[in-house]
Amino acid sequence: MATRAAHVQANAELNGRVTGPRGGLRRLLGPDYRLGYLFVVPAAVLVLALVAYPFGYAIYLSMTRKYVGVPPVWVGLENYVKLTFDGFFQRAVANSFIFTFGSVAVKTVLGMAMALVLTSNIRFRSFFTGVLLIPWVAPTVVTALNFLWIFDYSLGVLNYLLVRVLHILPRGVGWLSEPGTAMASVIAVNIWRGFPFFGISFLAGMKGIPAELYEAAAVDGAGAVLRFRYVTLPGLRNIVIIVLLLSTIWTFNDFQIVYILTKGGPGGATQVLPVFTYEMAFGAQRLGEAVAVALYMLPALAFVIIVLARYMRRSRTA
Amino acid sequence: MDHRLRDLAERLDAGLIARREFLRKAAIITGGTAAGLGALRTMAGAQPKTKLRVWLFKSFVTNANDVLARHVEAWAKERKVDVETDWATFGDREPKFVASIEAGSPPDMAEMHILGPTRYKAALRDVSKLAGEIARAKGGMLPFAETATRLDGKYMAVPRYAMITVFFIRKDIMEAKGLKPPKVYDPDVVEFARKTQDPSKDLYGFGQTLNRSDDGDGFMENILWDYGGGSWDKEGKPALATSFREPNLKALQFAVDTIQKHKIQPPGVMGWTDVSNNEAYMAGKLVTTNNGASLYYAMVAKKHELAPKTLLVLTPGGPAGSFVSASCYNWAIFSKSKHPELCEDLIRWMEDEKRFTEYLQVSVGQAGPVYKGRVDNPYWKSDPNFEAIVQNILKSVPYGHPGPMTPAAVEVRAQHILTDMAGRVVSAGLSPEAALKEAHARIEEIYKIRRM
Repeated sequence: MATRAAHVQANAELNGRVTGPRGGLRRLLGPDYRLGYLFVVPAAVLVLALVAYPFGYAIYLSMTRKYVGVPPVWVGLENYVKLTFDGFFQRAVANSFIFTFGSVAVKTVLGMAMALVLTSNIRFRSFFTGVLLIPWVAPTVVTALNFLWIFDYSLGVLNYLLVRVLHILPRGVGWLSEPGTAMASVIAVNIWRGFPFFGISFLAGMKGIPAELYEAAAVDGAGAVLRFRYVTLPGLRNIVIIVLLLSTIWTFNDFQIVYILTKGGPGGATQVLPVFTYEMAFGAQRLGEAVAVALYMLPALAFVIIVLARYMRRSRTA
Repeated sequence: MDHRLRDLAERLDAGLIARREFLRKAAIITGGTAAGLGALRTMAGAQPKTKLRVWLFKSFVTNANDVLARHVEAWAKERKVDVETDWATFGDREPKFVASIEAGSPPDMAEMHILGPTRYKAALRDVSKLAGEIARAKGGMLPFAETATRLDGKYMAVPRYAMITVFFIRKDIMEAKGLKPPKVYDPDVVEFARKTQDPSKDLYGFGQTLNRSDDGDGFMENILWDYGGGSWDKEGKPALATSFREPNLKALQFAVDTIQKHKIQPPGVMGWTDVSNNEAYMAGKLVTTNNGASLYYAMVAKKHELAPKTLLVLTPGGPAGSFVSASCYNWAIFSKSKHPELCEDLIRWMEDEKRFTEYLQVSVGQAGPVYKGRVDNPYWKSDPNFEAIVQNILKSVPYGHPGPMTPAAVEVRAQHILTDMAGRVVSAGLSPEAALKEAHARIEEIYKIRRM
């Protein structure tokens, strides 16, 4: 105790002797603060150059009228105001939310099912794990092009199976030509591509739950459903938060599947914000408005993510 | 003789040095000189060659792409220029151009689509002198090519060739039914399609998407003109739901009717992309379709069984006539290029008639004429199907017709306004009037923005 008091006193005296701004910095950041700067500088430069500058420039561009090859003209919030009242943009926003939440919801359920099946004692478990990862491993462009053929009315394998092989339908369905089926189709492809990520993440989480918890629950008389409800789900909560957040962001920004399958058609029925941004940038070549489209939903997306994260965290502490 | 050797020789003659010393010193002088010259030659060789970045357009006609690349390589070898060639395709050309211009590093020159000069005018060099020189040598430019490349009185690009859509007909089916090629869409194409199709066998009389695609947008633009309408009036002001409201409504109704009322199109046609009708036609599921020559090339190149059974005819029309818009491909030089004279030289080289004819002969009708002198090239008589290609090109009109080809007209096409209009009726159930009004509002907005 006496030693500690002496140490505190010595430190106080030392600190008392160091005066001026440098002394303040030393007190605040520690005696090695100069070396600390040296270590931080590369990371800070990288963040500024690769994140802060492009992001700041994007915000600036979104407040300009900018055409290709000519200098931008400052218009303030005009682009954002115009977008707010643009019917096509509004439809793209609605489509984006339908696409994102429709897809993420189903991916969560399928991913959980996949993880549960793969944790049970089935034969060839490793083989099935590998097979189920194929959609996630395959390049999105390849996936989308394959589904473009699968969904084709005349030449596609889906209609062929449903009409000629299984005789479920009297005639084929224009999967990509009707607004409802077109949206369902692009969601289905996104689900097919994305659910293995959910499954493998949940599987990893399940492996980390102690077996004793399941044993204790079983001893207490809990069946499979109750064990899932009171042991598995609470144990996976952190994984679920991360997977949902990541997938929401990825799905909201998914461009390739919709662009390759429908280009936002028919009649804008599957127009989502990334495709709208692309068309504004490279079709209309109005770069300022294109960036405004891309940034418009950023606060809303951030809000959704924060609410979701806080909700999940609260559930954990409850 | 080197003065040092002469000095040595004089000193030897005067007996001032021994023969052995003379030989030793002479060897050093000549060897050193030779080594020095060799080093100089190496240094001269190591000087960097002039480098030119050239972007070419990669079409579906792969044989023509090969010839194009070969001609550029031959020029580079002849002029001792280091050429870095890159390709832009239908799908990636716009992002590539936008990114390179905005990054301040465009290529020196590029082979561009019809929209290129209008879109990238601010980054391009005035090539009026060269365009005039080439056009004069080839009997003058065809009007649509001039409209596409001449902006505000200056040529921003040199026309190269024209791609155009024509009407593809299954000749074997037509002849079996005792029919003749249709002249107008309504009623000719409708009746032709009804008589030839057999949906129970998955064979449809007409395949023309109204979905967002070059094919769909092109058809919608043409059909408005065919009915005497269009998106723009003669002054280049929006006219979709104003001065051209009536003909445009009739045209839109007809386009929709081909799917909903006449049922001459395959049920999934609203989900088609640019390649879908090509695939369906080659799979024997369509009797007629509108497409560029690339479909014919694909069949001829693969010796497809339908190639000899295919007839290409002029695009059908409507009450006001038959209208099509040719896509004029062209050469443009970027103003940032440090070697514009080399770029001009390369363009002259590529447009040399001998080389162009070599390119033309492997293009299977895709490289249509943009100069009057090329209309009479014997190649166009080598296949009866080429007649429709040439005639369609000769009567083609530019985007924005009957007004000028403005950035707003280009943007309306690029934003799929007309196919969205059709899609809103076919897929979303909007009335043609409402869809026309909605599309007009979008065109007005584009017009307003582009005038700022």
